[in-house]
Amino acid sequence: MISEEQQAGNAIPPPPAAHAMDLVKTYGTGDAVVHALNGVTVEFARGRFTAVMGPSGSGKSTLMHCMAGLDTPTSGRTFVGAREIGLLDDAGLTEMRRNQIGFIFQSFNLVPTLTARDNITLPCELAKQKVDQAWFDYLVGQLRIGDRLSHRPNEMSGGQQQRVACARALIQRPDLVFADEPTGNLDSNASGEMLAFLRHSVTELHQSIVMVTHDARGAAYADRVVFLADGNIVDELHSPTADSVLERMKLLGG
Amino acid sequence: MWKVVLQGLLAHKLRLALTALAIVLGVTFISGTFVLTDTLHNTFTTLFGRVYQNVDFEVRGTAALSGGSGNTGAVRKAIPQSIATTVRHIRGVEYADGVVNGYAQFISPGGKAISNGGAPTIGTSYDQNAQLSALRLSEGSAPTSSHDVVMDAATAQKYHFKVGGHVRVLLVGPPRTFRISGIVRFGTASNLAGATIAAFNLPTAQKIFGEVGHYDAVDVLVAPGANKKSVQHAIAAALPKGVEVVTGQTVANEQASDINQALSFFSTALLVFAFISLFVGGFTIFNTFSITVGQRTRELALLRIVGASRRQVFRSVLAEAFVVGALASVVGLGLGVLAADGLEALLKVFGVTLPSGALVFEGRTVIVGLVVGIGVTVVSAISPARRAVRVPPVAALADYHADHQESSRRRIVSGTVIELIGVAVLVLGLSKPAIQLVGLGAFAVFIGIGMLAPVVARPMASVIGRPLARLFGISGKLGRENSMRSPRRTAQTASALLVGIALVSTIAVFGASVSKSVTASVDNAINADYIITSSAVGGAGGFSGAVSSAAGKVPGVTAISTVYEGAFDFRHSLSNLTAVSTDELSRTVILHMKSGHGTSSLVAGQMLIDTNTATSKHLSVGSVVPVTFAQTGHSTIRIGGIFQPNALLGSYVVGDAYFLAHFDNPLPVAVLLATAQTGHATATAIHTGLRAYPGLKIQTRAAFQKSQQSQVDQLLGLVYALLALAVVIALIGIVNTLMLSVFERTHEIGLLRAVGMKRRQVRVMIRSESVILAVFGAIIGIIVGTALGAAFSASLKQQGITDVVIPGSSLVIFLVLSVVLGLGAASWPARRAAKLDVLRAIATD
Repeated sequence: MISEEQQAGNAIPPPPAAHAMDLVKTYGTGDAVVHALNGVTVEFARGRFTAVMGPSGSGKSTLMHCMAGLDTPTSGRTFVGAREIGLLDDAGLTEMRRNQIGFIFQSFNLVPTLTARDNITLPCELAKQKVDQAWFDYLVGQLRIGDRLSHRPNEMSGGQQQRVACARALIQRPDLVFADEPTGNLDSNASGEMLAFLRHSVTELHQSIVMVTHDARGAAYADRVVFLADGNIVDELHSPTADSVLERMKLLGG
Repeated sequence: MWKVVLQGLLAHKLRLALTALAIVLGVTFISGTFVLTDTLHNTFTTLFGRVYQNVDFEVRGTAALSGGSGNTGAVRKAIPQSIATTVRHIRGVEYADGVVNGYAQFISPGGKAISNGGAPTIGTSYDQNAQLSALRLSEGSAPTSSHDVVMDAATAQKYHFKVGGHVRVLLVGPPRTFRISGIVRFGTASNLAGATIAAFNLPTAQKIFGEVGHYDAVDVLVAPGANKKSVQHAIAAALPKGVEVVTGQTVANEQASDINQALSFFSTALLVFAFISLFVGGFTIFNTFSITVGQRTRELALLRIVGASRRQVFRSVLAEAFVVGALASVVGLGLGVLAADGLEALLKVFGVTLPSGALVFEGRTVIVGLVVGIGVTVVSAISPARRAVRVPPVAALADYHADHQESSRRRIVSGTVIELIGVAVLVLGLSKPAIQLVGLGAFAVFIGIGMLAPVVARPMASVIGRPLARLFGISGKLGRENSMRSPRRTAQTASALLVGIALVSTIAVFGASVSKSVTASVDNAINADYIITSSAVGGAGGFSGAVSSAAGKVPGVTAISTVYEGAFDFRHSLSNLTAVSTDELSRTVILHMKSGHGTSSLVAGQMLIDTNTATSKHLSVGSVVPVTFAQTGHSTIRIGGIFQPNALLGSYVVGDAYFLAHFDNPLPVAVLLATAQTGHATATAIHTGLRAYPGLKIQTRAAFQKSQQSQVDQLLGLVYALLALAVVIALIGIVNTLMLSVFERTHEIGLLRAVGMKRRQVRVMIRSESVILAVFGAIIGIIVGTALGAAFSASLKQQGITDVVIPGSSLVIFLVLSVVLGLGAASWPARRAAKLDVLRAIATD
């Protein structure tokens, strides 16, 4: 975690939370070939909340998968912090996912047989590291899931499950959190709560978050929105509002 | 509907294959058993048919004793030589000559008596008439002088005997050396299922078999063109009382039916194991279909939305089972043929050369294989099919969450009821004893346990898994949680292994009890220092009578007892009679008299019976009973005393003098020696003194005890091997279930990998789950099996199983083995789980 003062005072700027250079991803061969990513170069700043948007088929999920080390690009380079993902083997990738990256998915975020508490501390247990109890308590307090800690996922609402997932994503204080449509299955109240917490974690706790979404209101919580279409970055918006995002998307035809 | 079923099957070929494998193995076993026994049956029938096809008639003594079933019990008296002459003079008879049979055993160049497993050592006279004789000369010439012998080709090949060479032969009297004048085959085979053949010329045979002036039978050839029936009548008319004439076909049928009786026992035993394997396979099918129905909830609901009726859905699941069962059965039938072939090759390794014959694949085999294979598959799929029907159409929609009912009161109640019924039937069956009731009771007990196992699955999995969770961190913990999350699934998966291990435990307990009882029974029967028996497998065949006198001459021997056995009729039912020499009996045999007199009764030509017989036949000291002997006919005997059961003596005992007076040339089955000292010197002296008689096993009492025990152990080993197939099928079931379970949890595993679980940690997780399953099944299986084995052993107290022994070390081995098996079963599913493509796994469909 780097404070804003430190960032401002350094002569050499710290590396971005993640960045990609000329990322290309192609599926299939011959007539059935699909160009999911067509040479994408992008940077996700540290301590910032970035949203990635685009119509279906734009390649936004593919971009996230490649930059999180879940998928291998056809060509190009991608980095988390200073580490180049393409140079890591499976063990290295796994370790990176454990300690440097946090994930929040649209659904099915939790292991059904574990309690909320165990789900949150899962990355620590996998790494065989001790849990930072103060940090754990803070997250639980902020997310207001203290009374659900000993419950299993099937005893919680969708919103509560997603909040538990947030806690898990942040428990190791990762360099970067990837969220793939995290509010997709939530009603507007729960959505709002979750997005507020994500915003808070960036502003107050200096986490870096990249969120793939097609909800304009969600994107409004971000510092910057990156727009994808047909495998290319086509536009960018800083300090978005729901309206400005919608405008931009209309222009793109999405 | 069929199209849907078939498409569904093709889409999941692997699932199909694994499910089918269990059935394939079971049907292979059944098919192989039938093919083998049918082939043997056919081969022997053909063989004897061919051998006797030229023998028109056989003249022989009538069956003197009431006989058991078939020819086995028929003991015939030898007929006077003159009968051959009488028959020769009958019009229409072209040729007639006598045949004698008796004990003759070759000694190998190395000095060992030659025998193959339990096959007999046949001594016979060589019939000069090539048409009549069953033997075909392949080398050399027929035996002409009294020093000549012809040998079977198999023995000659194995021990490198040549025509013109010499061989020593063991006989009832002292052994003699003969010149090998020729090599023979039995029909086309080089020997008859392992039996050795020594044939001499007729007068020599009569002399060495102690039948001078007699024949065992006269074989008759009818002149071409003569009316066979009238010749037979003419012969019959010329025969004295007690002699009969039968067709060659009758003799062939009798010989074949003896063998077929043994075969049917053999095939029944194998079929029992085959059915056990299928029973275990049924559990696997049930499991697989349960899981796949659960996985296909959406698909089935979709069918219902589109308009399929409940009945159609039910039938589609059963149809899938039918197809799987049919395919598996067909494959199993085919493999069975190969298995039979393999079995035949295996037998050859053990010296049993079966006459070559084409493999017989009867219609009956196909029908039984298909019916049983398909039947087990479909029946096992009924319950899952019923559950499939209960899937509501709304389940096709994304949001539906299936309501997993874990504990069903109804199931617990019916499970308990079935269990109690099973136990009751079992106890009833054991007390009678009625083996079918025992089988049925055991079957019900296992079904009941299968239904009740889910009740204890969660607590037990929790306990078993705790050390794993501690040892292996999060992976062990998740494995434990997985095994606890669905007690019904856990119990079902483990059930098959449960049954397998239970059966193995039953055998272990039963075997240990029998073993200990055998030891105890030897101690209660014999107090001789040395026991001499035949070295043939199982002590079969007996040995030369001259051994007793030779043993008597050994320095240091203070008492000898010769033991004989023979068949006789006791009050018109066929029984076994034992005879012992009466001098110094108490030095070698333990005889606890309950009433009457022991040795003195035997000396007086009276009979002793044991307490069980006295009670069951309502006899007491002084009773006079009618008896019949093959050689001497009817007479009566007085019961002189009643003794406590003795494993050596059996139920009926007479003195040796009486025995020798009623049996012709009997061979002793054992010689018991009491010696002044037991030690190396004495043993050496005995071996030296009996050097001229190879083919003897000379053991101290302790060694004898051990060899009896080892015979039990050998049989146990065979049973374990046959049960191994059931255990293998159970393991396949676990592999299958784990694979499906991994597939089911794709999302979850993908999530764990995304969050940073290493591949190795995933494997450990799956392996932990598997080990917990296996140990759970093993613990319950061991408990149930031990109880069954103990009950079984206890119920046979009357039959001589005096002790119930629980072999703790064996049971511990089974437990450890189950851990190993659990690990093994998990290896493929674990690797599959670890190799899951994380990206595809977390994709939300």
